[in-house]
Amino acid sequence: MDLNRPAFPLQSQNNAAAPRNRKALAATALAAALLLSACGGGAAPQGAEQAAAADPASGANASGAVNICGVKDASGIYKGTAEAFTKANGKVTAKYTEIGATTDEARTQIVQRLEGKSTECDLFITDVIWTSEFASQGWLLDQTKLVEANKDRLIPSTVETTKYQDKYWGSPFFTNAGLIYYQKDKVAKPESWQQLYAEAAKAPGNGYVYQGKQYEGLTVNFLEMLYSAGGEVLDDQGDVKIDSKETRDVLNFMSDGLKNGSADRAVLTYNEDPARLAYESGDFGYQRNWPHVYRLLNATPLASSFAVAPLPAWEGGKASGVLGGWNLAISAHSTNQAGAVAFIDYATSPEWQKHVAMDYSQAPVNEAAYSDAAVLQKMPFATELLASVKGAKPRPISPVYPQISQAIYKNVYAVLSGTASTEDAVQKMAEEITTAKASF
Amino acid sequence: MSTLIAERPTAELATRPKAPKRRLRGESKLHPLVWVFVVAVMAFSLIPFYWLVNTSLKKGASLSQGELFPSQPTLENYLVVFQNPEFLLALRNSVIIAVVTTTVALVFASFAAYALARLKMRRKAMILTLILSVTTFPAIAIAAPMFSIWRDIGLYDTLLGLIIPKLTFALPLAIYTLTSFFKEIPRELEESAYMDGATPFVAFRKVILPLAVPGLATTAILVFISVWNEFLLAVTLTTSPESRPVPVAIAFFSGTSEFDQPLGTISAASVIITVPLVILVLVCQKRIVSGMTAGAVKG
Amino acid sequence: MATKTLQPGRAAPAKTSGRDRAERRLAFRMTAPSLVIMALVAAVPIGYAIWLSLNQYSVRTAGLSRFVGLENYINALASQEWWAAFGQTFLFAGLSVSLELVLGTAMALLLNLAFKGRAVLRTVVLLPYAIITVVSAITWQTMFQPNMGLVTNVLSTLGLPGGDVVWLGEHGYAMAVIVMADVWKTTPFAALIILAGLQVISAETYEAAELDGASKWQTFVNITLPLLRPAIVLAAIFRTMDALRVFDLPFVLTRGANGTESMSMLAYTQLRENRLVGEGSALSILTFLTVMVVSVIYVRFAGGNIRDVAKEEQ
Repeated sequence: MDLNRPAFPLQSQNNAAAPRNRKALAATALAAALLLSACGGGAAPQGAEQAAAADPASGANASGAVNICGVKDASGIYKGTAEAFTKANGKVTAKYTEIGATTDEARTQIVQRLEGKSTECDLFITDVIWTSEFASQGWLLDQTKLVEANKDRLIPSTVETTKYQDKYWGSPFFTNAGLIYYQKDKVAKPESWQQLYAEAAKAPGNGYVYQGKQYEGLTVNFLEMLYSAGGEVLDDQGDVKIDSKETRDVLNFMSDGLKNGSADRAVLTYNEDPARLAYESGDFGYQRNWPHVYRLLNATPLASSFAVAPLPAWEGGKASGVLGGWNLAISAHSTNQAGAVAFIDYATSPEWQKHVAMDYSQAPVNEAAYSDAAVLQKMPFATELLASVKGAKPRPISPVYPQISQAIYKNVYAVLSGTASTEDAVQKMAEEITTAKASF
Repeated sequence: MSTLIAERPTAELATRPKAPKRRLRGESKLHPLVWVFVVAVMAFSLIPFYWLVNTSLKKGASLSQGELFPSQPTLENYLVVFQNPEFLLALRNSVIIAVVTTTVALVFASFAAYALARLKMRRKAMILTLILSVTTFPAIAIAAPMFSIWRDIGLYDTLLGLIIPKLTFALPLAIYTLTSFFKEIPRELEESAYMDGATPFVAFRKVILPLAVPGLATTAILVFISVWNEFLLAVTLTTSPESRPVPVAIAFFSGTSEFDQPLGTISAASVIITVPLVILVLVCQKRIVSGMTAGAVKG
Repeated sequence: MATKTLQPGRAAPAKTSGRDRAERRLAFRMTAPSLVIMALVAAVPIGYAIWLSLNQYSVRTAGLSRFVGLENYINALASQEWWAAFGQTFLFAGLSVSLELVLGTAMALLLNLAFKGRAVLRTVVLLPYAIITVVSAITWQTMFQPNMGLVTNVLSTLGLPGGDVVWLGEHGYAMAVIVMADVWKTTPFAALIILAGLQVISAETYEAAELDGASKWQTFVNITLPLLRPAIVLAAIFRTMDALRVFDLPFVLTRGANGTESMSMLAYTQLRENRLVGEGSALSILTFLTVMVVSVIYVRFAGGNIRDVAKEEQ
């Protein structure tokens, strides 16, 4: 049997790291060898090999079945796209398989399949933050040629989320950017973070809700402010730049906001859904959330009183944001790469991208879709959304992104909850990110 | 405490291991304080459950109102659940998996428990430790290798592929519980069976098992529920609705986006799936108190 | 009293060695199916996890790995995170298991009483145990949600303290919610096992005590509790094992914030989120060893008839 390995063993063991105790080594090696042979060890090395590349032309002659795997299809977009593609293509049949109920779980299940060299899935729906990690492990097909061929119809910032070491490892499917929802009868349109926080503190019903639980969403909320304040986590060379005045300013600003009532302390327990539910109670003025909330808010008594705005700028800086969204990555073990290419061509086509917005309320990766009359009808805030998407920046690009993000959200949380001083948290954050980057 | 009136098995039941009729002694003599405690226990158990039911009757904006009573109760969530063909499939899968696993686990575990509790055997301490270590091992560390092995031997995404590992993790609980109960049964009964020329296995079947019915029923409930609720192996070893059990199917209920927890439908489904378990408990709870004559025979 | 007879030692009369051998063979045959199933399913993945824990696998370069011996273990044991999680997990387990045993015993005594509606009470009491853990976590989360949760609403309506506390966002309070949620869900487990233990206590035992003029409380302390010990220890073993591996509750409710990160969560983060497979496997195995040590201590020292079985040298 072929046990799935996190990386292939033995062949590439680093001898420099051999321990001194030879007896122990010999005994352990023997046990290990027995175990490995029992498990049918000895998979061929693959890491150093040149990753295979997807051929953009292959899609035209594709046939057979394509299995797309990813997170639970909450909005129906994945199944819907697969069905529409199958109907339009005629030769290739696409099917969507849900393999995880949450983003975390989907990632686990995808990794499990990739490590185990499973051929079950041809395409994976990948979160924009997984690109570096998956690409560095050699799990994905190089899509550089395909992306180059489609580049003119894709928003550049969304394309960048599929890039790792100068190559593209996926094609953007739909994107995502934070928005501010506000009660226009109670509070002013957000122009800057400072103005938003001041306005929010004015009256008890004006408060600001965001995602402040200790998880990935807090990293996003923090980075949105940090980016607009001109700060960064890693610079273009990949050096750690988090230990900065901007980081301190933003942390102090956020923590002051919790103390002076701009933001309710309850945000420390909120991820996306509780934040939305709290906002729907009508007790708050501003909410930071994703575009999907628009449709939900419209079904509440707040429907007539809320408005949407892009994320504001830092005072004296410019508006920025953090890019979310999902990409289409072809598995290195796919048995129908041509079919996968055909699916990507269809899913990213300007025509289908309009449906992405109209039928599923997701943010298209094709710029023209945002000014389409039919789209604007269904998604009146498309202009604000496009502004947010174009202004948004990616999260730090690194194969150890999960560790970097933990270093951010745990330390930001410590400041917000009052268990660490800004100074200590910034230093710890920088240290932990440096350690993460030095991972083996 | 002085008010607690223990229900006592009467001596005449000793000769009838399965005692269908019992006199409820002291039925009318419960102290009011006991009733207070009854109410407290009920409240403690039911309040969160009430909140779950309450949530299952709400939809849309009223989910965020936190009302103690839904102002516009709706059964829509229940309809959504029942109209979901995948949920019904999952219900079928869960019933098959839980019933088969519980039955097989009880048979195997009662054998093993009898040997451990009653028979001469070497290295009992080691066997007990090994058995325990199987359940103690963190499932997250073995889920990934299991996925690969299962795929290679063709058990991946099958009901059998779920029953086998769930059985493995149910056995230790069943073996420990049954060993403990078998130990309680007085040896005198077996000895007299031996006098009559019975073999140990016959003694097990004819004497121990009937007396151990409360232990068996308790174990059955515990194993059934733990198998029914297990999530990690279920989500790791299945991929299609044809083999997915209920906990996974519930997790896959759709909201409107990946950030949206469909609270209403999840709650409704959770309420629905307690029904089979309630039936199980109602069926088993009589057994829990029926075979309890073990102590009486010692005299 | 009856204590002796209820925990039979090895009072078995002398038998011939032929019968001994037959008995051993039967014992072997009866345990074999269970042991074989467990070995087949669990041995390979467990062995594999042990192997992983002795290596490091690169998260930066595909296919790169190195053998590091016990380094992953040494690093884990030297880290503050491990000991913080260790302490928090034991705090959680200590609080929740002791509450569960006390409440479980009380519930079992209640369920053993004869009164009309007992079947209903038995069913009601078992309901929480039947709820899927993740759903129960979500239910407790919404109950304690500020402004819109059941508990916070009721507390602030009644003007009681706690209504304006962000329960899951504060040290101490967060642990309290997690303990409550666990006690709610798993007390029925303990109660059921203890109830079954109550069933084997004979009426004569009580009648003898009554004749001796013992009060109900004395009877409970001197007779019921000692006789219940095997059942209580059994419940304690399994509850402690589960509590020390707690994952779902803190994962859903706090993500480990506010002093609620457990050993299993730490292992999960390294193994699944960070894909530091060697380090994560070492943490899993450390968690496993911790739980095993505690379980063995229970079996050996807490008494009960599992210990009697373990001590039999035949």
